[in-house]
Amino acid sequence: MNKRLTAFYWMTMPAVLLFFIFLTLPALQGFYYSLTNWNGFGHQYHFVGFKNYVNLFQDDNVGNAYWFTFKFAIVVTIAINVLSLLIALGLNAKIRFRNFFRGIYFLPNILSVLIVGYIFNYLFSNVFTIWGQNLGITFLSTNILGSEQLAWVGVVIVAAWQGIAFNTILYLAGLQTIPTSLYEASDLDGAGKWREFWSITFPLIAPFFTINMVLAMKNSLMVFDQIVALTNGGPGRATQSISHLIYTGGFRGGEFAYQSANSVIYFIVIAMISILQLRFLQRREMDN
Amino acid sequence: MWKWGKRLSILASVLLMAIIVSACNKDDASGKVKIEFFQNKPEAKGSFDKLISRFNQEHPGIEVTQVNPPEAETVLLTRVVKNDVPDIVGLGATDTYSILAQSGIFTELANTDLPHTVDPIYLKMLKDVTGADPVYGIPYAANANGVMYNKTLFKEMGLQVPKTWDELILTVQKIKAAGKIPFYFTYKDDWQTNLPFNALGPNLVGIDFFLQRRANQVTFQDKYRKVAEKQLELLKYGHGDNFGKNYADGNRAFANGQGFMYIQGSWAISEIRKANPKVELGFFPLPTGNDEQAVKLVSGIDTLLAVSESTPHKKEAEEFIAFLLKPENSKQYITEQTLFSAVKGVTQDDPSVAELLPYFKSGRVIDFADHYIPKAVQLNSIVQAFLQNGDIDAYLAKLDSEWNKVANRR
Repeated sequence: MNKRLTAFYWMTMPAVLLFFIFLTLPALQGFYYSLTNWNGFGHQYHFVGFKNYVNLFQDDNVGNAYWFTFKFAIVVTIAINVLSLLIALGLNAKIRFRNFFRGIYFLPNILSVLIVGYIFNYLFSNVFTIWGQNLGITFLSTNILGSEQLAWVGVVIVAAWQGIAFNTILYLAGLQTIPTSLYEASDLDGAGKWREFWSITFPLIAPFFTINMVLAMKNSLMVFDQIVALTNGGPGRATQSISHLIYTGGFRGGEFAYQSANSVIYFIVIAMISILQLRFLQRREMDN
Repeated sequence: MWKWGKRLSILASVLLMAIIVSACNKDDASGKVKIEFFQNKPEAKGSFDKLISRFNQEHPGIEVTQVNPPEAETVLLTRVVKNDVPDIVGLGATDTYSILAQSGIFTELANTDLPHTVDPIYLKMLKDVTGADPVYGIPYAANANGVMYNKTLFKEMGLQVPKTWDELILTVQKIKAAGKIPFYFTYKDDWQTNLPFNALGPNLVGIDFFLQRRANQVTFQDKYRKVAEKQLELLKYGHGDNFGKNYADGNRAFANGQGFMYIQGSWAISEIRKANPKVELGFFPLPTGNDEQAVKLVSGIDTLLAVSESTPHKKEAEEFIAFLLKPENSKQYITEQTLFSAVKGVTQDDPSVAELLPYFKSGRVIDFADHYIPKAVQLNSIVQAFLQNGDIDAYLAKLDSEWNKVANRR
């Protein structure tokens, strides 16, 4: 018994050490810098206390970025989960070429986000617009990424398109854990497809629903690559997510300390949301 | 059969090889002085490579290597953090340069021969940008910001190059009435939106404005209304999707004859010619007012050369800069890059920019406005947002409030 325990320690201690060095330490450093006015490269800086945090709450650019990110994350999470559940249900049914379709739907997950982003960027500006012009649809004939009101829709489309692949796989895995005997029984009882879904399928894949919601939410709260490739935060600051703001302000703008304060807040917010989500959704799992 | 042990041993040997190879590189026993030249223009990589290989041949004791990463300014800043400043740095005279110069990471070069070879107007520009007297950088090449036009299309419609603001508006109205595109705007990229800003601001308000703004004596709300109005007016003469096309789209489209004019920098010429080598281009300064003689060409330092304060090879670094500043080398560089030389007596002979030469000769040039605006203000996105909603009052108020916020955070 003791020997086994030491083995487990041998497995976990290096991980703890690495975690500490590469994650905890930089995070603590970031917090330290957030209390200074360091620009990221100068030799001198001063302690300014919580001035950065005070400024943060008065900066409407920060407010905008939070508003955009939350709006974006909620829409993307819902879109991804609804669509990937539908696709998973389809792929789980006994259709022809099932494996072929499974492969196709997983493809977006393999491609790099940046490359997909740049491809879509080109499509939005040079392909869809020409289709729109030829078909006489005014909505499509200008690039939606160039519009302050609509650019976020473009980012949502790309993020969802790519996010669906992974969540579909998880839902598929979940669907395969459901024993077929349950469906046979419900068939005998004369349940319709709709009833079957709500009373058997959905409750039984609840843990997968939870994890998918949390993952999709977390991923879209941290959206960055898509923004860089599609709009670079524009037009104006209409699609600037929090992580993009931290990057542009902190590294390019020379406001390292200020954006460090922003990222400390951001970390707390994401952690809170994930914990709340897990608690809420897991309680729902047990109720069923 | 693939076994874990076998895989691991292969992995280990690959790693070992990598270590040995990299160790070899470090201990190159040639006895040469190695100098790293870091520059931020991807377009210029090939040109610098040629010059460097000639320099290395002529100076057997020195070996210069070029580093030109993407997002170079960001990379440079992170390297400064790590105290790993490249021996020689080439970058534009932007706010980044000014911050770095003020942080004391570059060597003072005033007492060397280098500043004497370049045009004093550019040395003064550098002083204005940093707000300090020491010479931390040697201007190498300058660019121009103005209006590019398609000579063939102008000839077909019998148009003249406009010299004043009113003539410009008349010209674009004529083009628009003929059902053509007067300006090809590429405002999906936010940095493109500040090109007219850069031409209008310094001409209508002056560069001193920024020095006074730093001292909090003036505001954008007082002085920049005209600039905003004129920029908004220009927007009326674009194509249907001004905010949907980016810089790369624009270069392609303009090269292929979509659009009569293109408000752009001279740096785009080589890109446009790549898309269509036969295109006949002309270039004139944006007429910002109605006094023809008062219009100045906006020209900034495209590349300046600075030496690290911490490098042990200052002498060799200066030697390399002196080599680049030789008239024949400077000439080669500006010819390939369609830029203008900061070196005295070196002229640009490309026909596309011939109309700009008188401005350089008589010193009727003025610096970019955005070189004086702190990067953290993020001017580009503010201008882009303004052009989308057209709200002048909100725009000017935003410029002031962002400026104050950034000043307050420093």
